Amino acid sequence: MTQRQIWLNVAGLLALIGLCAGWYWQSTGVRAIPALTHSLKDEQTQTRVFAAQGLAETGVAAKASVPDLLEVALHDPVQYAAAEAAKALTRIDLAAARQVMAAYLPLLQNQDVQIRRKACAVLASLGPVAKPAVPSLLGALDDEDDLARDRAVDALAMIGVPATTVLPALTRALEDKTAFVRYTATRHFAFTLTPPPDSWPILRRRMHDQDKGVASLAGVALDRAMRESAPKASVYAQMIGMNTSTGYALQQLAMQGPGAAEAVPEIMRALQDDQALHRYLAVEALGAIGPQAASAVPVLTRMLTDDDAVVRASAAEALAVIGGAGPP
Amino acid sequence: MTEQERRPVLTKLTLTLYWGSIFLGLTLPWVVRIAHEVYASHVPWIEAMRSLNRQLFAPGYNLFLVGAMNAAPFAIFALFILFHLGRAHLCEPATVTRRIGGALGGTAVLLGVSLWAHIGTVVYPDAQGALLYFFLPFYLLLLTPLGYVMGHIVGRWLGGRAGDRMP
Repeated sequence: MTQRQIWLNVAGLLALIGLCAGWYWQSTGVRAIPALTHSLKDEQTQTRVFAAQGLAETGVAAKASVPDLLEVALHDPVQYAAAEAAKALTRIDLAAARQVMAAYLPLLQNQDVQIRRKACAVLASLGPVAKPAVPSLLGALDDEDDLARDRAVDALAMIGVPATTVLPALTRALEDKTAFVRYTATRHFAFTLTPPPDSWPILRRRMHDQDKGVASLAGVALDRAMRESAPKASVYAQMIGMNTSTGYALQQLAMQGPGAAEAVPEIMRALQDDQALHRYLAVEALGAIGPQAASAVPVLTRMLTDDDAVVRASAAEALAVIGGAGPP
Repeated sequence: MTEQERRPVLTKLTLTLYWGSIFLGLTLPWVVRIAHEVYASHVPWIEAMRSLNRQLFAPGYNLFLVGAMNAAPFAIFALFILFHLGRAHLCEPATVTRRIGGALGGTAVLLGVSLWAHIGTVVYPDAQGALLYFFLPFYLLLLTPLGYVMGHIVGRWLGGRAGDRMP
């Protein structure tokens, strides 16, 4: 080969790398939003699910996709696709996510068991945004269908707030008659929620559960309870601002209530976050801390004019709890 | 074989190894996934390819990035082959045989290890799969010189045997 031929082939490789980089650039981030929105109408479930997940990653930039996401969340016959679309909405538009919640709430009492199961699954995917659904989900814990009860337990754990209501309900689910419902409740105490002291005796009993999976997880949950008996608000405070853990940290702080008072300065910083979900969770955390978050009243008052209606409503509630200026 | 006779043969071999290595490096993870869906999950070819297309940029899959990361060591070795074999026609025949052996040995190691790793992650999927995708290019870069040396030794041995048979 001549030198010229060799360098031409090197240039060919560089051109291929450029082509691949261009393809990647064009297919990711905000540039992919039109194609992803279009894919929400695809006949393949997997394509619709990936499209919803992709739109969730782009966040508020995908505002124009909200009507299509709402359509999937409310009317897609496949539960997984509807749940993923609902989850995406929590990253893009909280008001639209609340619309989904409002549409599914009456379905918790539907005669069709499949519809009740789907309603629980979609509410779970909404996470803490579905806080107003907690009372109805508490009722679903008495559903005659095992799977519907299991999904209601999962939904309550995913919502997490108010912890004073959710944790006792999950503690009750530890004694459900069905093994897989007990498993779901124990799993959440083992990995995502700190078991409250009331649940410890039950978890000890569950360590001898006839279901090996439940017994094993009960041990993990108790171990977690012993290690985290004093809530580590400072650890969660440090996680605020990290890309992937901000939402989780704020939700954990919201669940700790007054015990998270030391994290108030970090939570206040999250009120400036671009993501409405993070601002909402920060407001929820401050509201859960209560009067000890009095230093946040001025900034919470400013949140009454936030772009997002759900954040505004939550700020008004938090101010009422803390004792500052209520809604105008 | 004279230099004039060797030249087109070597050019063809170099270009085949160069572009073949780059192309295989990029597509090997995708081919493994398609083959697994077709043979293990009994999904039709066309559906398996559509599924791959959906997963190229999907969160949690990012198979395009997996292919690109896998292709990196292949592309580096391909460049080495291009410069190493591209001008080899000017060398002694024994040197050419050793270099061809080295290039084939390195390519075989790249393909073998990459294929084994990707089949492993598809057949036995777990949460650590992403770690493998991240570290595999580095392992491949470390192992390829070993393959080259082994191929080089085989090439020397073959070159020696060919020389013994010469009248």
